[in-house]
Amino acid sequence: MKNNVSSFSQLPILIFIAWRNLWRNPVRSILTISALASGLIMVILYASLLEGMTRQMVRFATEISISDIQVHRQAYIDDQDIYATLPWSYLKKMEQDFPSLHFSPRIYAAGLASVADTSTGVLIKAVDPKREKEVTKLFEHVRHGKLDLGIADTTKNGFVRYNVVIGAQLAKNMNVKIGDELVLVTQAVDGSIGNALYRIAGVLKPLEPNFDRIGVLMSIKAYQQLMYLKDGFHELAIKINDMALLQDTQNKIKNELTQLGKQQPLDKFGGKPVVRNWRQLTPAVADMMEMSKAIVLVVGFIIVSLASLGMLNTMLMAVHERTHEFGILLAIGMKRRWLLLMVLFESFFLALVSAVVGTLIGLVINEYFEEHGIDFSKSMPDGYDWAGMIFEPVMKGYLLPGDVLYACLMMMVVTMLASLIPSWRTVRLKPADAMR
Amino acid sequence: MKQIKANKINELHNKSGRKFYFKFLLLFPLFFISFPSFAVEVNELIHHIDKLWRGDTSHATMTMTVKTRHYERSMTLEAWSRGKEYSLIVIRKPIKDKGIATLKVKENIWNYLPKINRVTKVPSSMMSGSWMGSHFSNDDLVKESTFEGDYHSSITFEGKRDGVAIYEITSIPKLNAAVVWGKVVMQIDQKTLSPRIALYYDEEGVLIRTMTFDQPQKIGKLTVPMRLTLQPEDKPEESTVIIYQDIVLDIPLSSAFFSLQNLQKRR
Repeated sequence: MKNNVSSFSQLPILIFIAWRNLWRNPVRSILTISALASGLIMVILYASLLEGMTRQMVRFATEISISDIQVHRQAYIDDQDIYATLPWSYLKKMEQDFPSLHFSPRIYAAGLASVADTSTGVLIKAVDPKREKEVTKLFEHVRHGKLDLGIADTTKNGFVRYNVVIGAQLAKNMNVKIGDELVLVTQAVDGSIGNALYRIAGVLKPLEPNFDRIGVLMSIKAYQQLMYLKDGFHELAIKINDMALLQDTQNKIKNELTQLGKQQPLDKFGGKPVVRNWRQLTPAVADMMEMSKAIVLVVGFIIVSLASLGMLNTMLMAVHERTHEFGILLAIGMKRRWLLLMVLFESFFLALVSAVVGTLIGLVINEYFEEHGIDFSKSMPDGYDWAGMIFEPVMKGYLLPGDVLYACLMMMVVTMLASLIPSWRTVRLKPADAMR
Repeated sequence: MKQIKANKINELHNKSGRKFYFKFLLLFPLFFISFPSFAVEVNELIHHIDKLWRGDTSHATMTMTVKTRHYERSMTLEAWSRGKEYSLIVIRKPIKDKGIATLKVKENIWNYLPKINRVTKVPSSMMSGSWMGSHFSNDDLVKESTFEGDYHSSITFEGKRDGVAIYEITSIPKLNAAVVWGKVVMQIDQKTLSPRIALYYDEEGVLIRTMTFDQPQKIGKLTVPMRLTLQPEDKPEESTVIIYQDIVLDIPLSSAFFSLQNLQKRR
């Protein structure tokens, strides 16, 4: 018992000796620390960039085009059946019942766009500008011109021209500029040929590859005059304020639609309304989020393991050098477990100093990444597309405090495991051999 | 009636037909050797059917009624054609679509839209799209002129079906032909040599649509079915019906008539 008390009182001295031992060969220790610290910096930056990418992906998915929740008719999901619409009365009722949510109806159609001699198939997307602005940032996503979907002018024979905004790739392919006239020809829902003239008011930044290549954006009013589709819309985009309420809101909307379906039944052809959240709408994005966590863990483990090999080498050297010294200590009655503890403390200090240095430097570099990012805009001005989403050409970091903590913890654990090998060697020393 | 039939057969078969009958009577085993004469007959039958609504040149007025589960609309069309290569179709009614015109020259289609006063060429990507909201596609107009080159036709049945003596012509696409159908089967009345029904199959041999021909009328020497009904198999409640009101064949029309200028002028 008495012995135990004295043992614990010796602990501060042991820690002190371990710390001093580190600096008996400062160059070697600093080299080891810098190896471990750079490993940690890499893990931190990697986690930060991947998280930043994932966040950008989610932001693009939800804030700019998809929003949080969408409602469609089944037949629209299956084969873009233009007649599979949700009635306007549904929207009115839902806006009354959920004042805290924002709703934006959207209508689509396929058409043929021509400018001078070139014709190409396009996807017409119609939105209500006022409502759309509350749900997505689509209207801020303009490259050239102005996102104005109002009436441009009236031609000589009394024909009203509306403004439209088109995708960047489409503008490039059709070789048009702002102010040019666009002819749209399509089959209206009553079977007649819908045709009208438009003025190109702006070009959208890339949003999703499909819309970028063939998308024409117009107002719902303009759409109705072209397509004669007055009684409904194809897609209802819903923005919620608190992401934590996603599932809850989704269920509430499902119930509301069931209620509405009883009060005002839908036509039999279009199928049931389907409510999906952004994870279901863009499974690639949701998968990427899951995957990025696993990737960080695996890559981080590899980097830290490699760095800790340096640490292993250092400690083996240190122990080997001091074989004689350890022999004397053992001979004068130092307990083996104290010796083991001392070597472990030395490793621990190395890891700790590396963690502090690595985190500090990592945070500074990360600050730059969060601020400026890695800029690819020279080589890829339009960004890059991955899994059906277009990304900005600037990769920005986003560091979660938890990620730093995990990275440090992982490094400490791995290095401590590695240091078990040199410490074990001290335990097995025979004093007589060691002193010889 | 018999007189008419004999005339028809004579007109069609001329030399080869006679040779066939002669051989058939004298030398039964040679029946198989005389097979090529069948092929000639097939081509002549197809030519005959092609000429029914078109002659060398034609000018026709027709109504087209399109019925889908979402809408039903009726249009009055005026059409000119020269051979299979050239045609011009203008909508006369309803008022909303009045003046919309389609010009087909060989494999190209242009639409003229009077509301916006523009001519647009239908790009190849839109060829499978519906023509004027009907169950006919733009491709149906274009592929018509290459049917003979794209398909290999033969008479696969000769005899009575539903109490009417018919020829059945089966057309199979040639090896490298870019076509929509996997097989087209047409039944032709032996007596009047006017078509009764045409069945369009896809490459898996599934029936996709049926065209029925009825209300035959005599125009000159020919018996021409005045009503054509196109029925898609997967939508039994839908159909496109074309009823010819008036056909004038072999009027003077030069190929210069089928120009982009005329497309706009003819409205």
